[in-house]
Amino acid sequence: MNQQDITGEIRKYIEKNILDASVKIDVHTDLKSAGIDSFSTVEIILFIERKYGVSIPDNKLVPENFKTIQALAATVLELMP
Amino acid sequence: MPSFNKALLPEKVILSGADCFHLVLDKHALKHGAGGNVMRKVFYFSKPLSFEKIDGLLKSSAVIYWLCNIKLHEGMIFQKPCWQYSDRGREIIFRQHHVTTENEIPAGIRTRDITIRSERFIEADLVTYPSGACAFVLSWNHILLDAKGTTLLFEHLNQLSENKQQNIDLFFPAPGKKTGIITHIRNMYKVKHFVQDSARPPVFSVAEKKMKSEEGVTAVKVISFNSEETKKINDNAFKAGSRFGPTLYLIACCSHVINGLGKQKNKSGDFWLPVPYDGRLKGANGPLISNCVSFLFYRIPQAALTNVGQTVKLLSTQMMDQIKAGIPQRYSMFLDMMRHVPLWLYYFLVSKTGKGVFASFLYTSTGDNFNNLRSLFGEPIRDINMIPALTFPPGLTFVFLKHDDELSVNIAYSPDIITYDDLDLIEQKIKQTLLSDH
Repeated sequence: MNQQDITGEIRKYIEKNILDASVKIDVHTDLKSAGIDSFSTVEIILFIERKYGVSIPDNKLVPENFKTIQALAATVLELMP
Repeated sequence: MPSFNKALLPEKVILSGADCFHLVLDKHALKHGAGGNVMRKVFYFSKPLSFEKIDGLLKSSAVIYWLCNIKLHEGMIFQKPCWQYSDRGREIIFRQHHVTTENEIPAGIRTRDITIRSERFIEADLVTYPSGACAFVLSWNHILLDAKGTTLLFEHLNQLSENKQQNIDLFFPAPGKKTGIITHIRNMYKVKHFVQDSARPPVFSVAEKKMKSEEGVTAVKVISFNSEETKKINDNAFKAGSRFGPTLYLIACCSHVINGLGKQKNKSGDFWLPVPYDGRLKGANGPLISNCVSFLFYRIPQAALTNVGQTVKLLSTQMMDQIKAGIPQRYSMFLDMMRHVPLWLYYFLVSKTGKGVFASFLYTSTGDNFNNLRSLFGEPIRDINMIPALTFPPGLTFVFLKHDDELSVNIAYSPDIITYDDLDLIEQKIKQTLLSDH
């Protein structure tokens, strides 16, 4: 699985489950500015852990890693075996 | 000024499950003599505002007009409660006051009740001060607007002052999705057990056994932090393990302060805190009307109140577990189902769960909703305060509000249970706890 596949899946999840249909995002959009709050970030993390079988350690739970879909996908890829 | 077509306003809006929960809180307020379920937002300006201009803007708002021309129809078994609109030609009441003490909000505004039987569910006031500064105060019954709805209302007022057209459809809730009865029953069973377990008595309450407010008033104390202190609080939150914003850290610090106050009075016990959770899809521009909130429920035993980091860790685990189990969505469905229950029975069931204790204290935060709201009616805002509705018991509510990167804690309390000495202690300890290295 490459980073492009992961960004696509995370984006699809966020668009379908978290964001209002009126909000348009791409992989570089600042998720906080798009309306993603702390609870939604937790939902995204739980999706990632479920989908990719990874556990995000405390040292990776930093705002930079959740800033954009691109950053999230890079974190997932780094953690995947 | 943009006009609107009154014929497009909805004649009937069904109350959400969370709205109906507010009907229960209203009943609770009446029974316990509290100050009413009224929210107030105060915007301070350094320069005078034109009363006539604001009056015109408020009267040109479709949603404000609707709020002044509705009546509650209480539900019965198998009939959900709803707001019935009919055009009675009632406009918002907007009053002007001249006050000699800077920043003071007259008691007449602070104590004015807006009940579910009132003719209008929203009112506005303009307070002017000798320096030329002024405050715009908007008051409304909490049954109709939640925190996000309020943010959307002020965005709407700004759009009016920019002469933008009003999209009436965005103001009102869309019809809810239908869910099968079996799913509802299964869900109710799960939620009932979860809430009963997390709220099981004994629960520590600042109100102790005092269940009736003698004075029936809401007092407010605002503690402000500058931008450097706010940054320090955010850094402390992160270091303490609050990884997704400072919320859990703020809840933990409040719990430690109230626990300290309790210990001084030889009271202790498990803390139980229902914390609101916005159920709208993120980035949505509506609905403005109705409460779209659910709750996360935190239970903090005394053993987890040794240090702040430990409390944050426990809260974090409880938050993750509840989001994983879909508790906010399930609780929302549960509240929707409770709309079919007669109000007296609903009230009995809610009161029975915690033996009359709704929470140890109440916590809410406007998050970043008002952080970037720099102007209203085209004029720069100097400061924003909030006077929240006060549920009694517990009779103590903390509202965290961030504006212009500066955090403030708006503490609403009942003088029946929080004395001036208590308040001094709370102020001192809140500052100390939030700003300390943990």
